[in-house]
Amino acid sequence: MIEEFEIGQEMSEEDKQRWHDVQDMISRVETEDHEDVAQPTNMEAIVEGLLYIVGEDGAKLEQLASVIDRSLEDTKIILENIRTKYAAETFGIELVGYGSVYKFISKKAVFPYAQELFGASKQNTLSQAALETLAIIAYKQPITRVEIEELRGVSAEVMLRKLLARNLIREAGRSEAVGRPILYEVTEEFMDSFKLYTLNELPDLPEYSKDEENDNLFE
Amino acid sequence: MGFEVETLKFEGPLDLMLHLIHEQQLDIFDLDMAVLTDQYINYLHTMEELHLEVESEYLVELATLIEYKSKKLLPKKEDEADDDLEDPKDKLVRRLLEYQKYKEVTKTLYDSFVERQDQLAKPVSFDEIVKLSNEEDNKIEGDPYDLLKAMNKVLRRLQLSRPLDIKFTQKELSPEDRILEIKARLRDLPDTFSFDTLIEDCDNIHEYVITFIAILDMAKDHYLTFTIDDNDNIWFSRGTNHD
Repeated sequence: MIEEFEIGQEMSEEDKQRWHDVQDMISRVETEDHEDVAQPTNMEAIVEGLLYIVGEDGAKLEQLASVIDRSLEDTKIILENIRTKYAAETFGIELVGYGSVYKFISKKAVFPYAQELFGASKQNTLSQAALETLAIIAYKQPITRVEIEELRGVSAEVMLRKLLARNLIREAGRSEAVGRPILYEVTEEFMDSFKLYTLNELPDLPEYSKDEENDNLFE
Repeated sequence: MGFEVETLKFEGPLDLMLHLIHEQQLDIFDLDMAVLTDQYINYLHTMEELHLEVESEYLVELATLIEYKSKKLLPKKEDEADDDLEDPKDKLVRRLLEYQKYKEVTKTLYDSFVERQDQLAKPVSFDEIVKLSNEEDNKIEGDPYDLLKAMNKVLRRLQLSRPLDIKFTQKELSPEDRILEIKARLRDLPDTFSFDTLIEDCDNIHEYVITFIAILDMAKDHYLTFTIDDNDNIWFSRGTNHD
């Protein structure tokens, strides 16, 4: 509640009237049932609410479909409608489905203001070694440690453990090769971190051939 | 020869070879193995002169290069049937090209990675009580890397929950003291409780970390057992050593 005026302070009639108006308004806001908030009548609004609740964890298409009891196709259409709605310039957040996990994230243009609000934040980084290892796994998954090492020419053991701890890769069973080595694949977290809906969206690997100018090889 | 300090960092022997090929303007499709080998050895010598440790991976590839060189020096019998074996030079070129592909593509990937970080989501909203009742009968031991992952999540939440609160304080709290504090609180806590509950009385990262170290000790001494759920929340219950 707003503090009362100091005792002894003169109030003009006009001030008194304004004071009462304000008090009136406050009590109305505090007691009203907020009947201007209409409850959602369609699934789109329900899904939107769910996506708000799940936050950064996001929800999978299958999860949403089973919760709202609709087919995958219907759910996809609902999600696409929400995505289109939020894609408009009048919204500050957008719906993404990287790795088939749907979540709301703030739009790019909001970031400078967020920095202003929170102060400079430390960004996550990935070393060149981590990037190369991730790239190899993403393009060739499922893949064993030895195959990664053969490609990069260096030991991958520590790096794989780091990437596992960061939840960017996971184990994907075992290879049929001798010793049945562990296979690795990338996670939804990886897809999200690199803005990929599916692995098909990975950029094409460059092809080098004899005919090409050698300069291209090194830019 | 002048004194030259190379401060370039290479991601491994293949990375180094690609650099040397580029520097010497060698044609990768018609690779002059002799020049490459000499340059490669030169580089390793320089590293040694600078008292930098030459990692074993570089020596493995060196062995490959020298083996190739020595084979070339030896007269070859006409009838030697090594056709079914891939020429080591072709194999090296193939590996270099393959490695170059992935090295190249990381630039694009990294751009997406940086871009994505400008777009943020809020933490999940959930009811801890509901979670708790679901988890109670489901105790499993996690491994230390799961715990590390879960702790990262806790720290991230701390960061998110107090973004505008900047304080400079210095408090001394040892893990041993913290263990005593936690033991004192144990009898008032439910059978299963979360890490979040445990750190309710903490208000800075130092205390979070001390608490984390304390529970590691307590888990080791079987005072507590922990389990980590799908959302990387850490749950505790009393261990066998609890009286």
